[in-house]
Amino acid sequence: MSEFKVVGQSVPKADALDKVIGRAKFAADISFPGMLYAKALRSPVAHGILQHIDYSAAAALPGVAAVLTGKDVPGANNFGIIIKDEPVIVKNGEKIRKIGDTLALVAAENEAIAEQALALIKVDIEELTPVLCPIAAMQPDAPKIYDKGNVLAVRKIVKGDTEAGFRDSAVVVQQQYKTQMVEHAYIEPEAGIALFDGDVVTMWVSTQNPHYDAKEVARNLNIGLNKVRVIQAATGGGFGGKLDVSVQVHLAMLAVVTRRPVRMVYSRTESIKNSVKRHPYTITMKTGADANGRLTAFECTIIGDTGAYASYGPGTLTRSAVHATGPYEIPNVKITAYTVYTNNPQAGAMRGFGVPQVAFAHEAQMDMLAEKVGISPLEIRLLNALRPGSLTATGQYLEQSVGIVSTLEAAAAKVREIKLERRGGRL
Amino acid sequence: MDKIKIQFVLNGETRQVEVEPDLLLIDLLRERLGLTGTKVGCGEGDCGACTVLLNGKNVNSCLLLAARVNGCEVVTVEGLGSYDKLHPLQEAFIAEGAVQCGFCTPGMLLSAKSLLDVNARPTREEIARHIAGNLCRCTGYTKIINAIEKVACADRHCACSREAEEGR
Ligand code: FES
Ligand code: FES
Repeated sequence: MSEFKVVGQSVPKADALDKVIGRAKFAADISFPGMLYAKALRSPVAHGILQHIDYSAAAALPGVAAVLTGKDVPGANNFGIIIKDEPVIVKNGEKIRKIGDTLALVAAENEAIAEQALALIKVDIEELTPVLCPIAAMQPDAPKIYDKGNVLAVRKIVKGDTEAGFRDSAVVVQQQYKTQMVEHAYIEPEAGIALFDGDVVTMWVSTQNPHYDAKEVARNLNIGLNKVRVIQAATGGGFGGKLDVSVQVHLAMLAVVTRRPVRMVYSRTESIKNSVKRHPYTITMKTGADANGRLTAFECTIIGDTGAYASYGPGTLTRSAVHATGPYEIPNVKITAYTVYTNNPQAGAMRGFGVPQVAFAHEAQMDMLAEKVGISPLEIRLLNALRPGSLTATGQYLEQSVGIVSTLEAAAAKVREIKLERRGGRL
Repeated sequence: MDKIKIQFVLNGETRQVEVEPDLLLIDLLRERLGLTGTKVGCGEGDCGACTVLLNGKNVNSCLLLAARVNGCEVVTVEGLGSYDKLHPLQEAFIAEGAVQCGFCTPGMLLSAKSLLDVNARPTREEIARHIAGNLCRCTGYTKIINAIEKVACADRHCACSREAEEGR
């Protein structure tokens, strides 16, 4: 082992030196001579139609280099990693689907002028009833956020016969679980700086997804992908939340129009209002076991609030459904999972990607079942844990490398060790 | 608005600048003087990313008017160490894996320094309490506290006690 320089060694992080010295360049640390500062006008309402926008006073303000609205988006005017449903700038006559939707962009000589310009823009919005609860959004008479309906995606998994499984169960636990919306709150707010040299747009951005960003810039500016260069600046945390587009398309548009370097840095408030979140879930779970604690049947309904735009919603939903049974083998399974549009902040990728929500539910179920059967929480988990030879809820045959039993055993050993230490080595 | 002439010591060097009465220290440092090592995470005094030392005390530079530092001494991360001569805290942060995204790091280092300068052997609890105003969303704090503890002369073989002995 010791011949290796990296494998098995503790290697200093490649960029740690620049970071402790203060030399690492995050996007907001980069500047160019003649740089403009960009700000966005955001929707104050969650659901509505943009009727009219008057930016003449903002455009006339000394120090303002450009004001852009929906009509100035040269290309598709939509983006999204799975479904292209989020507008770059909401156009006149089109839908506003959440607080924070972009209504206009300003580039000015400094941030204070940009802020003043935003205050001079007059918008006329026809407000619609916002839909703030995914369960209400699923009702047939709910206001439609999209013409296609409010249910974004459905995932179903069926294995065996749950009715028969519950009939054969000695104990059954049924509960509803609710998880909350969670903000990533990476310590660095979204930021970027873009240049246009007459042919190619180059930008340095705080992002987790530069290749996807470049494609969205090209589609929305209606230029070739070879005319867009997105460089990931040192990025102050992402946790999944910087996989989506933030400043990228806005900056590219402003750089092309003004032919000057443009920088955009979100305030913390703007970051929280406009970034994706962890999906809040309502989970109904029913789990059965025989008298020894061996799992017999499992039924689960998941309703996720994906907010105004799809982002990674369909992907996280798949993971939630697939992992709803947890690391346990259950012969009879029925899972139905929905992710539903609302006028709340959009939910997307966040550490665990749909799995932490269901873990909260299935682990609580295991504890309650153990108590009913009269065995320990560890015993019920070891009894039901997936092993080589198990069939998962989706019917996948696990041939090898299933770590849950050894993990549980190692954790149990650690608990015993700590308890022993606390007692000062006395058993 | 009339500008105010101020003089202060920045990272050991006397500086004279003219500032608007409403200019914040963070903007003076980052935008005017090009010292971008100090970060802005919230601009409201919540996160500590903008921490600098003002006469040795850790302060949020996003809440401080630039004019306020007239006659004072300010230290930013750029004044802590260099590539050739890292501060022991910088070395320990690298060695202990206390740097992830690195956005909280400059502020964290300066808060740590302000503690060790007045209390060379703080307990883990004292360290945790002292860096309570510096949020880190990546590390979970354990490795940061380990790094500070390493420098804090917890054992006699640590870097700063060696330095002290050599100096004697
Ligand atoms: S930027 Fe100053 S405390 Fe957050
Ligand atoms: S290392 Fe990312 S916030 Fe601390």
